[in-house]
Amino acid sequence: MMPDIAQTGQVAGERLPQAEVPAVMLEQVSKWYGNIIGMNDISLAISGGVTGLLGPNGAGKSTLFKILAGKLKPSQGTVRLFGIDPWKNTAPFARIGYVSENDALYDWMTALEFVTTLARLYGYTREEARVKAERVLEFVDLKDVMHKEIGKFSKGMRQRVKIAHALVNDPELIILDEPLQGCDPLARTTIMNVIRELGAMGRTVIISSHILEEIERITEQIVILNHGRLLALGNVHAIRDMLDAHPHSIALSTDRPRELGKAFLDHKEVFGVHFPEEGKLIIRTHNLGALHADLPQLITDSGFSVTAIDNPDDNLESILTYLTGGGD
Amino acid sequence: MEADENPNLPDAEFLGQTGAKVEGQTRLEAAYGSGDGDEQSIPSASVAGGTKQHEQAHLGTVFDQSYQSWGGSLNPRWARNWAILRHHVYGLFSTGHRPYGIATKLILFAAFLISLGDLGMSFISAIFSETEMHRVFGVSKDNLYGHVLGFWPRNAICFPIIAALLIGGIISEDRTHGTSAIYFSRPLNRIDYTAMKFLSVAIVLFMLIVGTLGIYYTGDILMQGEGWAFFLDTLPIFLGAALAGTILVFTYSSIGLALSSVSRGKFFPAVALLGIFLGMKLIAFLIYVLFERSVLYLLSPYDCVAHVGQALVGTTSTYDHPWTWSLMSLVVINAIALYILASRVSSMEVTRE
Amino acid sequence: MAEKPRPLHDKVWSKLDRKATAILELTLRQYRTRLSTWAVLSVGVILVLITVLFYIEAMNSEIEAVDNDGDSVDSDGDGYPDGQENLLGTSMNNANSHPGLFDPPIPPDSAEDWINEDGYDFSSAKLGTSQGYDDDGDCRVKIGEVGWSSWVDENRNNISCDYFFEMRGFDLEVIADPNVDEDPDEDAYFKETLHRSFVLGFGKIGFVFVLGIFVPLFLASGLIRDEIADGTLHYLVAKPISRAEILLYRLLGYVALVWPYFIALAVITGIITGFMGPSDGFFRFQDLLVWFGIALAACLLSLAYAALFMTMGTIHKYGMVAAIVFGVWEFAMAMLSIFEPEATVSRLSISHWGMVIVDGFSNMAWPDSQYLIALGESTSRSSDSPWGERIYSDGMPGTEAFSSFFHTTDLTGNPLQDALIASGVLISMVIIMLVIAQSVFKNKEID
Repeated sequence: MMPDIAQTGQVAGERLPQAEVPAVMLEQVSKWYGNIIGMNDISLAISGGVTGLLGPNGAGKSTLFKILAGKLKPSQGTVRLFGIDPWKNTAPFARIGYVSENDALYDWMTALEFVTTLARLYGYTREEARVKAERVLEFVDLKDVMHKEIGKFSKGMRQRVKIAHALVNDPELIILDEPLQGCDPLARTTIMNVIRELGAMGRTVIISSHILEEIERITEQIVILNHGRLLALGNVHAIRDMLDAHPHSIALSTDRPRELGKAFLDHKEVFGVHFPEEGKLIIRTHNLGALHADLPQLITDSGFSVTAIDNPDDNLESILTYLTGGGD
Repeated sequence: MEADENPNLPDAEFLGQTGAKVEGQTRLEAAYGSGDGDEQSIPSASVAGGTKQHEQAHLGTVFDQSYQSWGGSLNPRWARNWAILRHHVYGLFSTGHRPYGIATKLILFAAFLISLGDLGMSFISAIFSETEMHRVFGVSKDNLYGHVLGFWPRNAICFPIIAALLIGGIISEDRTHGTSAIYFSRPLNRIDYTAMKFLSVAIVLFMLIVGTLGIYYTGDILMQGEGWAFFLDTLPIFLGAALAGTILVFTYSSIGLALSSVSRGKFFPAVALLGIFLGMKLIAFLIYVLFERSVLYLLSPYDCVAHVGQALVGTTSTYDHPWTWSLMSLVVINAIALYILASRVSSMEVTRE
Repeated sequence: MAEKPRPLHDKVWSKLDRKATAILELTLRQYRTRLSTWAVLSVGVILVLITVLFYIEAMNSEIEAVDNDGDSVDSDGDGYPDGQENLLGTSMNNANSHPGLFDPPIPPDSAEDWINEDGYDFSSAKLGTSQGYDDDGDCRVKIGEVGWSSWVDENRNNISCDYFFEMRGFDLEVIADPNVDEDPDEDAYFKETLHRSFVLGFGKIGFVFVLGIFVPLFLASGLIRDEIADGTLHYLVAKPISRAEILLYRLLGYVALVWPYFIALAVITGIITGFMGPSDGFFRFQDLLVWFGIALAACLLSLAYAALFMTMGTIHKYGMVAAIVFGVWEFAMAMLSIFEPEATVSRLSISHWGMVIVDGFSNMAWPDSQYLIALGESTSRSSDSPWGERIYSDGMPGTEAFSSFFHTTDLTGNPLQDALIASGVLISMVIIMLVIAQSVFKNKEID
């Protein structure tokens, strides 16, 4: 997807006409294992910027990544990376970096040796590979430990080694399958900074994670999968807007919630108020935009003091919960 | 507050002292060392309303470890061991126990049929009343010996393969998958664990090697209609062969389990077992043919057992050295294998290695 | 994006040397960190050393000399051995008839002079040509004597006191006149045949077979399977490199470890046996050809097995069970091909062709082996008859072992051609297996 500057979001199934070959293109891809469907008729195209891939466990995220990495073959549909099918031809991997969720590494190698040796598989000479490896290890902040054995690394350092390995060939498409898993908060921040920087450089980055707050901090472009189906893709806010059936809430903190609530009941877009706790007022509406427009006027007219205004469900978690049937 | 002022609160131990009240505030303060803010820099916890003797309890206290014995009832030891044994042996026949691959089960079944080959020949000779054929295949010293210790094809192909398949993952799978944690976090002795695994392999091998010997023996006697006199005459030979077969089973099991405890995979122990048995036999055979020196046979486990078996059954010895040497060598081989097994199992972590 | 995108029409089979050396180094370093590698290789070295020790001990021992024709005995007690009396024309049974009565009198020989006095004098390893010379004269003395003309030319080739070789059915036989080359040196014969049996037996069984199958079984089956099990395969697969390349380079890494190992072992054993074995000079140079054949067979065989086991390791579930069963089948076929070389079923096995290579080279290096075996088998122990009638029993020490290990190649009759054919068969087996392996691997999904 091109960065969604207009914040209009994409309806699933529609594709913008592309000027050049998109980095990733899936067309009606399905993958099943016997009776279990891993991916169910997914079509999407991704090119440029950071895209987050979300979904509960078993949604098909890892399956999707493995198909992109050429480890699995789609049972149906076509996959194209830079226009080439990765299962049949591994040439696109010259421009791709892949971080798998599997934690296995060659523990007996040092970080530098690991990245250098695998870099040579792209066709670099020993010298070239070593220089690139050192540069990329510095980029992920492992420069002082690069001569230590990977077996002695902490979990966060191991993740960074994997990311370094994925970046060594200066890829245009970087696929990260759960890069933040098991990392301590410091490592997480480092890695997220790296990812954001990559996105800012114009690379295509696809990242999957369970940690929704961090995805929110990195990107606004998301793809939501559930039970192997594509539920939504596009800008977070645009998706939220489109979920008309799911009522929006506005949370107001005030010392006179009930009185303030009465003032809102007259507004035609408000269909409900409720008071979750002392000092808090939640207003339910179907049309957030209209209500937002009238909100300041209503508050000043009521005369009550409001200490905080919040959109509690304009975030990924509530979208995800709603979309994946977590209930509301 | 004294402990008996509030009799409803259970007697508890807190901060190493009995009788202190365990209430929320106290817990919190003890945990986070939070106070009014003007305490000394030494991290300490104040016990809310505590007795005079422990007004300032330091966070560095070591708690009194007083354990009460568990009053529950435990299965007798044999029941627990039987559970392990059952898990391993029944897995061959039914689901819900240790899974064996279908290839393994098929090969074991084929081995069973091959082992009964001589019974089949004896049966055919009985049907057609071929005395010549029966003289070749019926019960005799050589045939009883050959059933358990004949090299070709039993000990060359059949028995090593089934031993290799059985011992393949028996201990290494626990190390790889971390299920040793399940075993050792239960009230199980490591000796029992090892012994039951050993028994499970040994029982299957015993059935296939000595059990079929027994079937052959009784079957032949019954089919030929031999009387009790024949039975009593041949019983010592049969017992000798059975004992030799048991020694073979024991040796296969101990070497196999030792190899399985050393490795992490299913494949290395199996191949190493084949390598030790067949490879050593081959090298010793080569030396014998070239140099007429049979002493290298002492390094080959199969030949040691065969030699001892020859002495037990009473057939002619095919080796130039005395059978007591082979017995000694067998004892040494088994001792080494069991030592390796014991040391590896006793140092096995209760976590995924 | 800073630069323009890299072209993707670069085929994956590009910059082979860089990718190949990268994977080769990776494989070698992986082997170095594994305990199983060291264990297997050192067990191989230990086994080789043990057998070489036995060899050295045997070479240092002496075989006692046997008087095969019994002519060192002094039947009539006149102090002259029967053989001497027979040669000089006096009666062996009459104490009053002995060469001491000649003018000038001839001193008596000691008994030792008449033991091992008539050794093998065969000049060329050819069928039909006349061979042999009667050193002790117990046939030659009768040449020209009346009534003995048919006796001295029993084999009817119009040459007295000789023998020739002939193929009777599948067996090579000695068709001989009596008392020719009938009392050879046991020790010399034994040392020569033992040496050759050792080289062949150890080469075929110990080297080519035991090492040739166990080393690949331990080292090669994990080439792909371990990567899958450890979860590190995707580092190799998600790269611009074809899956077939991965297989090939991994195998190359294995070869880089194992071939030097085999060659070094063969060279060391060849040098030790070359110096310790019986020879006219200080070193048996003709053996080098055989050791070359052994090393070649071991290398090709281990490569073929490696390709096979690597493939089986990739097929995951029952691959390894199949590998074990196959290994035992190969064991059986190798035994068959050593002890029953005419059995054609062994041609289905890989190990048979390795044996053919060794046979081919040994036939080239020692073309007279068959003849030596035939002679050895036909020589008898001392018998009661003073005329040394040949009794087809016993044979010379060392003949049995030698005849069980030495075979002629029966494909084309020319040993060099046979060795080359066998090498070709092995190499084509390797290629076929790699083709199968890469098509299996290309379709393999990696979870």
